Amino acid sequence: MTTTRERDLARPPLWRDVRVLRVLGQVGAVLVVFLIFRWLVGNLLTNLSRLGISTSFDFLFGPTNFQIPYASEFNPRAEVWQATLVGVKNTFLAGFFGIILASVVGLIVGVSRLSENWLVSRIATVYVEFFRNIPPLVVIIFFGAAVFTNGPFPLLRESWELNWFGTDNAFLLINNDRWGVPGFAGTGELGLFWLIVGIGVVVGAVVWRWRTKAFDATGQPHHRVLWFLGVVVAFFVVGYLATGQPFEMSWPALSENRRRIDGGFEVNWGFMSVTIALGLYTASHIGEILRGSILAVHTGQSEAANALALTAFQRYRFVVLPQAMRIALPPTINQYLNLVKNTSLGTAVGFADLTAFTKTSIGNGRPAFQSILIMMAIYLSFSLVISLILNILNRRLQLVTR
Amino acid sequence: MTTLIEPETTSAPPIHERNAWEWIKHNLFPNWWSGLVTIVLLPILLYMAYRALRFFFVTGQWEAVEVNLALFMQGTFPRDEQWRLIAQILTFALAFGIGAGTASASARDRAEDASLAHERGSLTDTLKRMWSMIAFIVLLLVFATTHDPGSPISPFLVVFGAVLAGYVGYQARRLPRRLRNLGWLLTLVLLVVGFQVVSGFDSGGWLPLGIILGSAAYSVVPVERFESRWLRLLVRLAAAAVVVLVIRAVYGAIDSTGIGWDEWSGLHLTLLVSAIAIVLAFPLGLLLALARRSTLPALRYMSTVYIEVIRGVPLITLLFMGQFIIGFMVPAGTELSDVTRAIVAMTAFAAAYIAEIVRGGLQALPSGQTEAGQALGLAPPTIMRRIVLPQALRAVIPAMVGQFISLFKDSSLLFIIGIVEFLGVRRIIHAQEAFRGVGIAETLVFVALGYWAFAFAMSRESQRLERRLRVSR
Repeated sequence: MTTTRERDLARPPLWRDVRVLRVLGQVGAVLVVFLIFRWLVGNLLTNLSRLGISTSFDFLFGPTNFQIPYASEFNPRAEVWQATLVGVKNTFLAGFFGIILASVVGLIVGVSRLSENWLVSRIATVYVEFFRNIPPLVVIIFFGAAVFTNGPFPLLRESWELNWFGTDNAFLLINNDRWGVPGFAGTGELGLFWLIVGIGVVVGAVVWRWRTKAFDATGQPHHRVLWFLGVVVAFFVVGYLATGQPFEMSWPALSENRRRIDGGFEVNWGFMSVTIALGLYTASHIGEILRGSILAVHTGQSEAANALALTAFQRYRFVVLPQAMRIALPPTINQYLNLVKNTSLGTAVGFADLTAFTKTSIGNGRPAFQSILIMMAIYLSFSLVISLILNILNRRLQLVTR
Repeated sequence: MTTLIEPETTSAPPIHERNAWEWIKHNLFPNWWSGLVTIVLLPILLYMAYRALRFFFVTGQWEAVEVNLALFMQGTFPRDEQWRLIAQILTFALAFGIGAGTASASARDRAEDASLAHERGSLTDTLKRMWSMIAFIVLLLVFATTHDPGSPISPFLVVFGAVLAGYVGYQARRLPRRLRNLGWLLTLVLLVVGFQVVSGFDSGGWLPLGIILGSAAYSVVPVERFESRWLRLLVRLAAAAVVVLVIRAVYGAIDSTGIGWDEWSGLHLTLLVSAIAIVLAFPLGLLLALARRSTLPALRYMSTVYIEVIRGVPLITLLFMGQFIIGFMVPAGTELSDVTRAIVAMTAFAAAYIAEIVRGGLQALPSGQTEAGQALGLAPPTIMRRIVLPQALRAVIPAMVGQFISLFKDSSLLFIIGIVEFLGVRRIIHAQEAFRGVGIAETLVFVALGYWAFAFAMSRESQRLERRLRVSR
């Protein structure tokens, strides 16, 4: 008797059976999404074929036919995918330097907000509250339009030259278009040299591990950062001498007709606007994150450090900051991700990043749909790589709990 | 050896009033290096303040802003239809007043229910929270009078009228308690009406009011005397249908076209476009969040892919998508304006972020809540609707305000795709003969201040909400 009752309970009518409903629900949802998708894509394909717009990706291998601003080494006859890579490179560079600037300024701002000096903490607060509440695009355009192009700087042909102390070499060429800074020019066996430096980094990593193991075994100070840097520098010097001085300093100088900068490394106003603006903007967010993370470390930790008679520096370096870092890391990397995505706003100041390139490319008759898909895929892969790094770091930093 | 402390002799530690000198010593020169920092920073700061003040009052060429103030506010909105904007401002002020009054009153109700003392936030607190917006409005009024002393009265009248409408609306807090929901309903209705004062009450515009009033009718129609569940549902649905039909008929009878959002621009467009996008994105984001938390793998995967893809790309790529592609994704012959396509892109963008916020709220809710619902034998949808969502959504209100701020700031990107919003007005201004290359920094500073004033006030508001929610937990 009980078995029949159990069977009754186990098998409700079909329309109330959770297992059936679950399957039906999923099939229904997939079907709805699929139909919407098919409708959209179907419309797209009909409309495109009606207008005779190509839906293939062949255009990637055709000539670009336009010059990318401030990329004089780029040949307009090169294929479109190569031009896309120039855009990616610019996006990457702006993101890289922006992240460095944002981290440095953000660290200063975050620590300043906790300063006991009223003036310092007030300045930091004003900084944060100002930058957090205006659009990054306005900051970028401010630097681009008000500081660099219409600001105090002279024309390219009348560049201010700041000379390196006591020499004729300019270490900074300042104007409203592109600044020249010293760079390096390869003269010989550069490949071999970088190979040697690469080996140095690998050896340095091995030494790092050895010092860590020695520390774990004996408790002696490991000084692994110093060891690592020492090894790399040693390889650098040896490589430089062994390959016969493969590069030399290259100083920026105006060309004869004063329309170009020869030598050195040049940074254009769009790049500077994007990097500085996003660095300052993101720094306000990072500063808040760092401040919150330092405050989030339990006061008992500081008190314990004090009870052990650690100095203020030791307390921060070995007790508070390591724990604050663990809290701060995920949101900070999120901010880095935002910064990289925001470099797309450089379009507004003529910075030739991936977005600007795509826009110009579409304007030059390249199919919009494919171009935008490629652009989105590239940004998406940037994001995915960064969140992958974040996940790995997170796993390593997680508290080991029993 | 009785060292008992007499009760009379104990007292709170004396509050040491610092005089100015001690304050300076403690806050500016606590130790030698901090003092050094002060000494270095102070002159730099004073110099920068001097330069800033000089820029604001002496060297700044503010004519570019003053002359084009109306352009900044309403852009190329048809000037002979301006009364619509004024009516919109007044209606919105009334709606916000009623909303604030009702919110304050229901906070009082809750405190009464819990027999707690209720302290109403004072007017000065509100003004302090809103100081950036007030300062911006004062700045606007100053600009309005310095440029055109001939007719300085109308901006003042509008501001005065808005304050008055807000004050009148705030009196909704005096309504008896059973009318609390009426206050909320009135707020929503006025928001829709205020929107449609500009966009027009054409026959197709019945939908928002239909939804709001229809669902109100659905829930207030008295059905207690009917025994059968089905009959009750039928009566509710019938009431809702009648209301919706009446509204449709009314809209069909009025049928006056207004100024659609394609013709909006300036700050007006900036504010409304972000509001529209967030309102449209909310239901979508809610569905995405529920799908991502669902136990059905197919739903979970689809929602996760959508959210991660959208969050992984910059908004500008979606706007490009809107500009170049969305027009092709509808049947041939359907014309979508620039603003519509931008709103579609912004909605798709915001929905993914809102989904993540709501998911955070759902995850933060202790599982005991769901389990309690299960123990009561409630069906899963009922648990979600009656127990989980009300708490989760309440908890994420501050984050939603934060997302609105972020969308408000991101709406500046419409400038890049050529829509004349608040930032885009600059392009028109600097194309004028008189301001070609003149006052570039000034217009930018003005725009930055405008964005800042709104975003700062909203972020203060969200901080207050956060504190209040934490306290009421």
